[in-house]
Amino acid sequence: MKNKKIYVSILTVGLIVASVYSCKKSLNTTDSNVIASSDYFKNSAQLLAGTNAIYSAWHGSNLVGREWFFLHDMRSDDVATGGSQLEVARFQLLSGPGDSDPGNPVMNAVYQSLYTVIHRANTVTDNAPNVTDNAALRDRLVGEAKFLRGWAYFDLVTFWGSVPMYTSTVKTADGAQPKASIAAIYAQITKDLQDAAAILPGKSGYPSTDIARATSAAANAMLGRVLMQNGDYAGAKAALLKIPTTGPDGYSLTARYLDNFEEETEFNSESIFEMVYSDKGDNNFNWGSGTGDGTSADQTTVRNQEYDPIGWRNLIPSNHVLNEFENVAAGTGTKNDPRYGYTVYQTGDTFDNGTATLVDADQNGNSSVVHGTTIKVGWRKFQLIYKEDRPTAAFHPGSNNQRILRYAEVLLNLAECENELGNPASAVTYLNQVRARPSVNMPLYPTAQYPTATKANITAAIIHEKTVEMADEEVRNVDILRWRAKGYFATEPISWYTPALQYLPIPTQETDNNPKL
Amino acid sequence: MKKKHLFNAIMRITVINIALGLTLIGGALANNTNAQVLNRKITLNAKDKEISKVLATIEREANITFIYSPVLIQANNKVTVSFKNETLSNILSQLLTSQNIKYEVSGNAIVLNRIIHPTGKPNEVEANQNESRQAIGISGTVTDDADQPLAGVSVTLRGSTTAVSTDNNGNYKINVPDNSAVLVFRYVGFLTQEAAVNGRTVINVKLLVDSRSLNEVVVVGYGSQRKSTITGAISSLDAKTVNALPVTSLDQALQGRVAGLTVTNNGSPGTQPVVTIRGISSISFASDPLYVVDGFPTGNLASFDVKDVESVEVLKDASAAAIYGSRATNGVILITTKKGARNGKVQVNLDSYVGGQSPSKKLDLLNTNQYVQYATALDGAGNLPPRFSSANFNMPVYPGASQTYAQTNTDWQDAYFRNNALITANNLSLSGGNDVSRFYTSAGFFDQDGIAVGLSYKRYNYRINSDHKISKVFTFGENLYTASSLQHYDATLGQNRTFLTNVIRMPPYIPLHDPANPGGYQGPISSFDGSDPTNPVEGALIGSNTVNTLKIVGTAYLDVNFTSWLKFRSTVGIDYTNAFQNNYTPIFNDGGTSSASSAAIANDRLSTTVQLYTQQLNFDKTFGLHHVAATAVYEQQGGVFVNETSSGNQATNTVTSLNGASNVAANSTRETNMLQSYVARVNYEYAGKYLLSGSIRRDGSSIWAPGHKYTNFPAASIGWKIDQEDFLKNSKSISELKLRASYGITGIPISSLGNYPYLSPVQSNQTYYPFDNGSPGGGNGSFTNGLSNADLTWETTKQLNIGLDLGLFNNTVTLVSEFFRRQTDNLILRVPTPFSEGFQGAGTLENVASMRNTGAEIALGYHKRDGDFKWDVTGLLSVMSNKVLKLNTPTASIASNSDPDFGAGQPFTNTVAGQSVQYFYGWIAQGIIQTQAEAAASGQTGAAPGDIKFKDISGPNGKPDGVIDSYDKTNIGSFLPKFTYSLNYNATYKNFDLGIFFQGVHGNKILNAENIILQGMPRLFNASTAVLDAWTPSNTNTSIPRAIVGDPNGNGRLSTRWIEDGSYLRLKNLELGYSIPTAALKSFTGNAISRLKIYVSSQNLFTITKYTGFDPEVGNKNTGSGGTLTNGVDFGQYPAARVFLFGIQAGF
Repeated sequence: MKNKKIYVSILTVGLIVASVYSCKKSLNTTDSNVIASSDYFKNSAQLLAGTNAIYSAWHGSNLVGREWFFLHDMRSDDVATGGSQLEVARFQLLSGPGDSDPGNPVMNAVYQSLYTVIHRANTVTDNAPNVTDNAALRDRLVGEAKFLRGWAYFDLVTFWGSVPMYTSTVKTADGAQPKASIAAIYAQITKDLQDAAAILPGKSGYPSTDIARATSAAANAMLGRVLMQNGDYAGAKAALLKIPTTGPDGYSLTARYLDNFEEETEFNSESIFEMVYSDKGDNNFNWGSGTGDGTSADQTTVRNQEYDPIGWRNLIPSNHVLNEFENVAAGTGTKNDPRYGYTVYQTGDTFDNGTATLVDADQNGNSSVVHGTTIKVGWRKFQLIYKEDRPTAAFHPGSNNQRILRYAEVLLNLAECENELGNPASAVTYLNQVRARPSVNMPLYPTAQYPTATKANITAAIIHEKTVEMADEEVRNVDILRWRAKGYFATEPISWYTPALQYLPIPTQETDNNPKL
Repeated sequence: MKKKHLFNAIMRITVINIALGLTLIGGALANNTNAQVLNRKITLNAKDKEISKVLATIEREANITFIYSPVLIQANNKVTVSFKNETLSNILSQLLTSQNIKYEVSGNAIVLNRIIHPTGKPNEVEANQNESRQAIGISGTVTDDADQPLAGVSVTLRGSTTAVSTDNNGNYKINVPDNSAVLVFRYVGFLTQEAAVNGRTVINVKLLVDSRSLNEVVVVGYGSQRKSTITGAISSLDAKTVNALPVTSLDQALQGRVAGLTVTNNGSPGTQPVVTIRGISSISFASDPLYVVDGFPTGNLASFDVKDVESVEVLKDASAAAIYGSRATNGVILITTKKGARNGKVQVNLDSYVGGQSPSKKLDLLNTNQYVQYATALDGAGNLPPRFSSANFNMPVYPGASQTYAQTNTDWQDAYFRNNALITANNLSLSGGNDVSRFYTSAGFFDQDGIAVGLSYKRYNYRINSDHKISKVFTFGENLYTASSLQHYDATLGQNRTFLTNVIRMPPYIPLHDPANPGGYQGPISSFDGSDPTNPVEGALIGSNTVNTLKIVGTAYLDVNFTSWLKFRSTVGIDYTNAFQNNYTPIFNDGGTSSASSAAIANDRLSTTVQLYTQQLNFDKTFGLHHVAATAVYEQQGGVFVNETSSGNQATNTVTSLNGASNVAANSTRETNMLQSYVARVNYEYAGKYLLSGSIRRDGSSIWAPGHKYTNFPAASIGWKIDQEDFLKNSKSISELKLRASYGITGIPISSLGNYPYLSPVQSNQTYYPFDNGSPGGGNGSFTNGLSNADLTWETTKQLNIGLDLGLFNNTVTLVSEFFRRQTDNLILRVPTPFSEGFQGAGTLENVASMRNTGAEIALGYHKRDGDFKWDVTGLLSVMSNKVLKLNTPTASIASNSDPDFGAGQPFTNTVAGQSVQYFYGWIAQGIIQTQAEAAASGQTGAAPGDIKFKDISGPNGKPDGVIDSYDKTNIGSFLPKFTYSLNYNATYKNFDLGIFFQGVHGNKILNAENIILQGMPRLFNASTAVLDAWTPSNTNTSIPRAIVGDPNGNGRLSTRWIEDGSYLRLKNLELGYSIPTAALKSFTGNAISRLKIYVSSQNLFTITKYTGFDPEVGNKNTGSGGTLTNGVDFGQYPAARVFLFGIQAGF
């Protein structure tokens, strides 16, 4: 009996141990939901997806969808606070303290996501040499990546000055880079945009499903901006002149100024590059991901909610910009500039396809003073109340594409180049093209208020014309940097400016965690 | 090999088991059917040895227990015997009959009594004929704590050899010579008690369990151990303690019960609290302990019914916990569920309570008139929102309403909170068994409404535990638990704009309802009202946010008993959880900020299947004075995690599923992991005095890169039972004195790291860009967002523990004190990458940081165990300090969790080397600037009279520079308490019992972020009435700064203004119970009910605190495994409720 008991016991335990041993699983598991980085970006389809992700990062809420336009605007003199609804961190950027605060979250968001753009662009440029299945597509994608990277570095160098520079992805934990000189960054941007301009097709080179991709004209328009900012007006002029004005790839001013800011007229003849937003009809905005990530993420921009005259009114036009428009009564012009009414809505204006009239009670917060009159004024550019009623417009984020580069700016920049290069006649011609737009039709320069006798006269006209033509289009703060350096402002346009605040501080997160700084 | 051999597979014996077993011996003796045990065969040799020693040998060899009174059976008599492979019945007959001792079998115990000489009086024993002259007859009943009769208790007359024993009903009769006689009651496992006769003829005695009893056993990892020989830091809780509070989950029941264990309420019913043992052990991950339910390691206790708990053991130090190796750093909580008694009876218990919960605090918010006053002060009279123009303000709140906005005064706190919200728990259990099989089965129903609208938790659960002796060698057992729960949760939990925040922010002039609006609610119009809170009642009730959880956890085991000292157990188990989350929002429009033009449906199903295989060999043998116990285990535990999400929209509110929906999106993922472990442990004990224990666990996990899979986690401990030394053995005052020390290495639970932590894969098609202006139909963009780290491996924590256990006066006074130090040098940190690397600052996991927790714990108790009025009081105190020793770089900082609504988006907490983890991070406020000159000198851009002055503490050169900027941010407090404590008082007087339980923390700080909403005046929202006292040139004597649009000075920035003392003392529980006397109950109910206790209790009756928020018990905004560094930041989370309830406990 006892022996039998032991045998049975041992047998049982043996069976158990054997069965467990046989079902012993390997510890070498793999994640079957994802693809290892090392196995991806190997063909043109994957490289295309990598390129698309750069655009996606650019249009997320940390950049063009939200914080990018806030940061540009609040460091310019285009805007004023709409009232108590402007969040404190934003107000502090607008009023100064935020511009020296390395913890300011708006500034941090932009900095962070510009580098995300750069990382994603570097992913494409790093991996492109391994892609061989479609050389033409591959090269175009590299061009798009370089355009988007160049643009990102331009924002970095104009907001922050000297910053860390990466032209390849970080692959090891100690891969952080030190600050590069401003000159080195400009050199890199110039090279990226030149490469992009050389590789990218014109707009006719894309099928309609790819209408929003960067073109050679976009690269040249951006290159023009960059070279001007870096003092190379000849180079800028050359780049800007490469932008075709005729043919299937050509650009021209739209007859109707408002076409540049309304949803129905996206990708018009004037539009060189846009950030695309799309709307599925609700009030949702992708707040969650600063870089717009998520396969089913909302694709709207929140600009329509933030600046909406009957929405938040977080930022309203500054008195400076409102009073810059030529006005007969104020004696600042011989014709009231129609662009005033295209740029802003004020009490008494109609909206919602002309069916509603804006009253004071629609408009929360602060009033403006226009030519001595106190009145409530809000932004019209990129807002949707031109076609939306009060309940819809007040909270609707919207899908109006943000125009990044348009032909009017090219003309204004060419005017500045020519003026700086000593060709005043040519400069005035470019300015007058902008003023001659049918829906604008302002008296041509020289005017009584804006003579063109001297370079300084023309400079003043350029500053004036660009201020009113491109108000609230996120170019003003960069222009101020350039013009301030040249001494073009009799009075400093930024109330809080001191030389120490020319550039934003590098975020604390960067200084604390980048050992190379 | 018929099923005749009895075999004891009980690896976990508690005093209660034994006591229960003993009380039911009567039944066993009566039918005498349980004598199989006597067929066991053993070999036994003894020469001139005391009977007690011979019996002890038989106990070991035959794996049985003798119950006897040493005096009664004259256990010191010496015998000589020799048996070879003889049945127990033969041995006992020969050994005992000659000694005039009879024996009876009850289960696995054998009760010994003197053979009674027939006298015609069945219960009377006359042990010695010479004593027959005695004059006074005394009778009585001996019972235990639970009023159950004790059989076989020795009753002796002090100073004589007269002795009797109690019968099966605990009754005895004895003759004593005179009134000065003293009776002595002795029983194994109980404290000896004496009673003077003093003229009485009936002396009933209640014996108390001897807490020194060597038989008290506690559950340890992979086995059990006598409490007296434990060398680690283990706290043990019984079923009564864990059931004292009406709580959803077991974790909540542990609050204040174990020194060093911190439990913080963190949300509405059904939401798990934040539990830490001995502090925060990780920077990047939660510090949740490991839970082991009946041997099954699991991640949390959601869905678990507290009523099924037999005991809870909390393993705190390395020597106790390291047996769980890589998962043990945060401590281990072992839960043992109930088993049936082997008494041949079925015991039915009903445990039920019902009560109401109410919020305990309300804030002072502005009413409509005050709101207008405040808005005017903030915005300026000329810039008020359009709503306040008299035409708009005097409009009816909706067409046809008789009331205007100006006349409306909605109390949003009243609208959102609920009083007397229902809570009820009901558990019906059946248990019982005999020598072959036993079972415990229970069904439970728990239902709790939140103290705010839209929140509830409901659970149904069922358990069956059973085991069956197949033969002497084999025993099979199983535990099976199923639970189904439904939680209506707060979807804003963890977000910045919680419902509670919106309760504060809602303008009081807006009515709750607008019957004309789809959905029926009204909300503010963001620009028109100049404010954008959302109607919190609408938010909570308009849609539905539910989690439906089905949990099935079961284990089956087979015990193989080779010999009495070598056993094998094979366990297989499965833990299946299916959590189905559904979020539904109908088409609605409150006319303001909140609306939906199509109904939104989102489903998220997470199914988790964890399989466990444990093979375990146990050795336990005594060699003379040496006792050796050893355990070897092979274990593997693997999980499969399937996540499926789907979402879409409906154009109608009629259909609430995705059937026919538009914008349908779906996703699914499947992940697996596997943990393989080899465990060995040896406990050695010499002469019951010197204790030595060593263990090692080798864990291998699939989550690491090849080459880093395995790590060893060793631990060792020593103990010295000084009370067993000769110089203390007979001490009257010191009843227990043990000194112990342990050291070991542990890791953190891998569940917090995810299943593939070292990989940073491509995010393939995880983003979208609408090149053609279209809507996404899946992603079209791929990217990478981090670095892989193939070197990532187990972090190892070294923990030292020194403990002292002291018992005085037969353990009337008990003291357990512990000192510990634990340090991790290769702490896994989600190292923040600089933004410029392009990973959005996302961290890379690296073994780089170092952190140390040092602390001490004291548990002091006094136990008055005799008399009608019995009470005991236990106080716990624990102190702890935390220090981050090293991060990835010397200058590294982990600034955590900014939010634009709370302090302008500056991070709340910061973690740097040299300070404690996640200190609150901000400026030091120094009062109000009164003059223009002070403002100019403040170094604060935008400062004016009425603004807050902040302290200049540093600058770019490390010195104060006259400028207030980010260099002046500093450590402004820690959420870590200086000490935590609790006081637990229990008393019984006759049939009444009383429980009082205080719990407190002291010296911690709370970042009252909700106060930034209440007083920060960042934008126009409703606020605290305190803002009416804002500084103005004519109201300068105030602590509230001026009301000013845009807060140019940053008065609302994160600063000491928002830091408050978080100390509190809370009456956690007050309970008064009455047990209906058994006799009355039985006669009244015709024996249908054998036990009935009714009680009333109140939880959180009062809280003493200076904290001004809803509740000083502040949890963590981020409960997931992501960012965890927001402990102690009050974002407006669900406060603890005040509860009153009524309950019954009945036995049938």
